[in-house]
Amino acid sequence: MRGVYRAPDQHAVTPQNRGRFPGFDVLDEVHTWDEVTAGVVLARLAPAVDLSFFSLAESGCATALLDLLLAQDREPRVPVMAMIDARLAAGETDGWHYDDMPEDGEAWRRTLAALDEDADTLAGRPFARLDSDQQAALVQRVQRLGSDGKQWHDLPAEHVWSLWTRYGCTAFYSHPWAWNEIGFSGPAYPRGYKNIGIDAREPFEVPDAAVEDPVPFAGRIERARNAHADLVGRELGDDG
Amino acid sequence: MRGADYKAIRARNDSAWLLPNDGNRSDHRLRADMRRFDDDEEVDLVVVGAGAGGSVMTQRLARAGWKVVCLDAGPFWDPDRDWVSDERGSHTLYWTEPRQIGGADPVPLGSNNSGRGVGGSMVHYAGYTPRFHPSDFHTHTLDGVGADWPITYPDLRPYYEQIEHELPVAGQSWPWGDPHDYPHHAHPVGGNGDVFLRGAAAAGIEARVGPVAIANGRFGNRPHCIYRGFCLQGCKVNAKASPLITHIPDALAHGAEIRAHCHVSKILVDDETGLATGVTYLREGLEHRQRARMVAVAGYSIETPRLLLLSSSRRFPDGLGNDFDQVGRYLMVQGAPQTAGRFEAEVRMYKAPPPEVSTEQFYETDPTKPYKRGWSIQTVSPLPITWAEHVTAQGHWGDVLREYMRDYVHWATLGALCEFLPQARNRVTLADETDRHGLPVAHFSYSECDNDKQLMKAAQASMETILRAAGADEVMTIDRYAHLVGGARMAARPEDGVVDGDLRTFAVPNLYVTDGSVLPTQGSANPALTIMSLAARAADRLKAGARSGVVDAGARS
Repeated sequence: MRGVYRAPDQHAVTPQNRGRFPGFDVLDEVHTWDEVTAGVVLARLAPAVDLSFFSLAESGCATALLDLLLAQDREPRVPVMAMIDARLAAGETDGWHYDDMPEDGEAWRRTLAALDEDADTLAGRPFARLDSDQQAALVQRVQRLGSDGKQWHDLPAEHVWSLWTRYGCTAFYSHPWAWNEIGFSGPAYPRGYKNIGIDAREPFEVPDAAVEDPVPFAGRIERARNAHADLVGRELGDDG
Repeated sequence: MRGADYKAIRARNDSAWLLPNDGNRSDHRLRADMRRFDDDEEVDLVVVGAGAGGSVMTQRLARAGWKVVCLDAGPFWDPDRDWVSDERGSHTLYWTEPRQIGGADPVPLGSNNSGRGVGGSMVHYAGYTPRFHPSDFHTHTLDGVGADWPITYPDLRPYYEQIEHELPVAGQSWPWGDPHDYPHHAHPVGGNGDVFLRGAAAAGIEARVGPVAIANGRFGNRPHCIYRGFCLQGCKVNAKASPLITHIPDALAHGAEIRAHCHVSKILVDDETGLATGVTYLREGLEHRQRARMVAVAGYSIETPRLLLLSSSRRFPDGLGNDFDQVGRYLMVQGAPQTAGRFEAEVRMYKAPPPEVSTEQFYETDPTKPYKRGWSIQTVSPLPITWAEHVTAQGHWGDVLREYMRDYVHWATLGALCEFLPQARNRVTLADETDRHGLPVAHFSYSECDNDKQLMKAAQASMETILRAAGADEVMTIDRYAHLVGGARMAARPEDGVVDGDLRTFAVPNLYVTDGSVLPTQGSANPALTIMSLAARAADRLKAGARSGVVDAGARS
């Protein structure tokens, strides 16, 4: 046994058990990483600490929003909300904010409150208690207002969308489970790569199983688009 | 000239040989033995910022025997201890103090273009080090756009050659601009570079491997690249060049002090004599003052103008050197659309350095086109978080986002650098928001002009052509920006800029600006090599004139 101990059912975990690289687990290579990097990556597997930035109500709304944006509809889930909560508590911004948006922490609070307000108007319930298709319709509306260059609750919808997706994707795709899902080999120091080039793999890399999938790439995207369209199918009137 | 004359390099800069060869990546001994100056001692030069320009300035003048203190707001990095082979964990490499962005086309800062700590943005730049073309120095005369520099390409060429050897740069013989060779041979390419080379060949476009500041083979005590792919997260290997390893070690060995975690808050000018007398800086909440005979600001295009604006005095009520409302203006970014292509085969673009292959075939003005100037194309290889930005930029979220992301290993990505034109309205001003020191933060306003927009479209089309020719079955593009230059530009007259061709401010004879903010135009080249070369040239000019003391502002050659 090399590296750190893991329970057998913690091997090759992917979010919602979705993925195309069967058996691939970046954590199998922890013993080849430098310890500073290993510490940073393994910390993402640590149990979440208590909320330190969001209020309970905000955290419920944020979890529902982020699960939707990242299609995390069942366990195992990457704890995206908790990761963002910790980041906002530490005040770790991207080093800029749009001059028509408040700073990031305040922007998160305001936009979550605005989502709850929309949900209340729609169904008299907080956002987290809406059906997923209702949630999806509200979120889709923010994106559409953004691409139309319009405001949403006195904020530019495009910049709200940027805030949500930036923070959401940064957290999700920093998690080793997400790397397992997409076949990314993660940290590579001091090991490096010996086999670079088209269709070249290291001994620990796993080929994309989709090559044997009878559905080609375009078909898989079409399938995902249809699932997505079903979810957001109930379009709301645009009063933005 | 192919091959490197190590004796000549070491006579100029011994940095690569001063690093340890025992597996440690930092020169702990040199740092422990570093000379330390007292705040009250008037040093010959205080440099603000230890990035591309500030580090070269520090090293060159320390080697000439000057007493130099270089202040940096961030840490004195130790690649072993401070950097990680991880995208998210590299957040500390970026300047993340608050800044506001606005204008019609706001430009994100932080990870995109702003460094922190000793080594500056070059710690997390890709590593491309192309030269500017001779035409870049007089676009106004040639094409009626942009501005003419007060110096020409031949003025800078010897310094390009010096710095290319000191980094060192690896690449194939370069056919564009002023044709030249590189001291190190080109690196082997990974999947992304392979796609570019095949697609370009099929489309009849010339492409070359390089130029990258990654040693091919050992260089001094710096080891060979391990093709790890994390160039943008700080090179833990010491294979990719940054001033932290290419100039700072030699500066330390020649008695310079690198004072980290010191945020310079003001440049001090004596209103009676009109000369700079030093700087104030903040460290751990306390204000200090470093006295100096000369000041060189090298905080890059956002912080340099901000510091000049913050350094107002009775004589300079609108900001230091701002008599003609030039400080902060003509700030430029390059339009940097990135186009990705999807291949049935696995590309796994995260393997091998992101900087691999370039073309400058579209760099110069094409008289048959409605737009002026052009663009370059280079491989870029986004890691997963950045790749997610590409996918969400298409409007995807939820299931579709996840499905595209699961296809990561099949995509190759190219990036263009479009020469956006300098415009007075694109500028840094002070915002009404303050940082944790209570100092007003920078507001950066950016709006594209029509020529810029045309270049973005044309560059995207050329990248799609290459990727389709290589066999891509789908392409996607994200519009983004890269690099920062300008904001305190050099000019022939004080009415048109902040510094002269020697990088000396028009307003204060012993105040210099030695960073990317002095560039009047930007070409389609990554700016690091040019910034370092300009600083090396400015240092040479200073050394030559040093014996005569401060030269009268009107009597410059």
